[in-house]
Amino acid sequence: MDIKIDTCNGCGQCAIVCPVQAIQMIDNKAVVDEESCVECSVCYRDANCPVNAIKIKRLEWPREVRVPFSNVIATHKVSGVAGRGTEEMKTNDVTNRYGFGEVGISIELGRPGVGSKLKNIELFTTRFSRIGVMYEEKSPVTSLIIDNDGHINEDVKDERVLSAIIEFKVPTKKLSHILEIIREVEKEIDTVFSVGIVSRIKENNTQEIINRISQLGFEVRPNAKINIGLGRP
Amino acid sequence: MTHTLHRKGIEEDLKRDYVILAMLAAGVNDKYDDSRAKMIKIGEILKEHNPINIMSELGWKTSATITATYGDIETVKRIIQILKEEDFGISIVISGLISEIEKTLKGVDLEINTVHFSLGTFGRRKSELLPSEKLLEITTMCGHHTVSSQSITHYVDLIKRGKTTVEKAANKLTRPCVCGIINTSRIIEILTTLVKE
Repeated sequence: MDIKIDTCNGCGQCAIVCPVQAIQMIDNKAVVDEESCVECSVCYRDANCPVNAIKIKRLEWPREVRVPFSNVIATHKVSGVAGRGTEEMKTNDVTNRYGFGEVGISIELGRPGVGSKLKNIELFTTRFSRIGVMYEEKSPVTSLIIDNDGHINEDVKDERVLSAIIEFKVPTKKLSHILEIIREVEKEIDTVFSVGIVSRIKENNTQEIINRISQLGFEVRPNAKINIGLGRP
Repeated sequence: MTHTLHRKGIEEDLKRDYVILAMLAAGVNDKYDDSRAKMIKIGEILKEHNPINIMSELGWKTSATITATYGDIETVKRIIQILKEEDFGISIVISGLISEIEKTLKGVDLEINTVHFSLGTFGRRKSELLPSEKLLEITTMCGHHTVSSQSITHYVDLIKRGKTTVEKAANKLTRPCVCGIINTSRIIEILTTLVKE
């Protein structure tokens, strides 16, 4: 993002709305910290700048990669979906993306609201490569993984984004390995991340998977997303 | 997209927080002549039931998803019943308390297909990087994180100084979320608590 210093009247609204505190008021002018800015455009859309000082810059590679991971209305060319995610389980009654005997995992780096450098993806993907996971093809993060060892495109490692979701699935029997890796990475990573587990459910029995996760030492939150099976191809 | 998944709050408060999402599966059931008409009809049904918040009607005509937020499970139940009867064939996801949604689905003779469970937030620097739980209860309502924690503290300060009201501040904080999944009623409750602190 670009804020025209000469135009800025120092009202501070952009600094208030910035989700990652990338805008500071210095000598009564709004200044964008380019390193922290994730190019989400919230300032442009929601600050109501009274003097139209906020501009969306034309970005070059690799900085342009920040946009689909941060801007809610930007569509990623891989997923075709706005908001950096994929359909995942939301259409599972139609797609059967996740079947019985397997679990889907979503690890959202930088959420809630802290942001993350894309290099943090490798903390997980290099470890996952040792046990074998099936990444979601349409995920924007998957498109950054360049080899079977889980390395990501060198160009983008230092780019900071609002969040990036690592989406994949494994046979249910590998869930314990995945959760061990999550505990390992948690001790190392310089940001926060939020974890979700997707499970197909038989005969309304959610307790089986909840118990399994609990026995592995993780607490399942009381609120979830539930596909109620009304969709069909 | 996990955007309605990691909403924070205690169970008692989450009893007043549900999001209904309808979504077309790309390349599968979005290709029929009546796919869009069905999505618009779903939008109308969601709107008829007085949602706390709802995606704009422009979104119904263009987006693969429609979302709306409600404050009680009884309304969600009525909507599910209608959607079941209408049999649009479009995926419906309810975000909210597992226990309440399970009971509701049994009541309308539906079975859960898939669940996305939240295990919460991780990171050794969690306590230093994240704002307070109360602020997170608001910011996490927008899964794309368009609501900043400092905007909340800004409005709390304005409310304390009599420059605005809780309701006006809640509406301002709701506005950045384009998906219509922010629960303005919950924001009012939380702001009221924050103002008293």
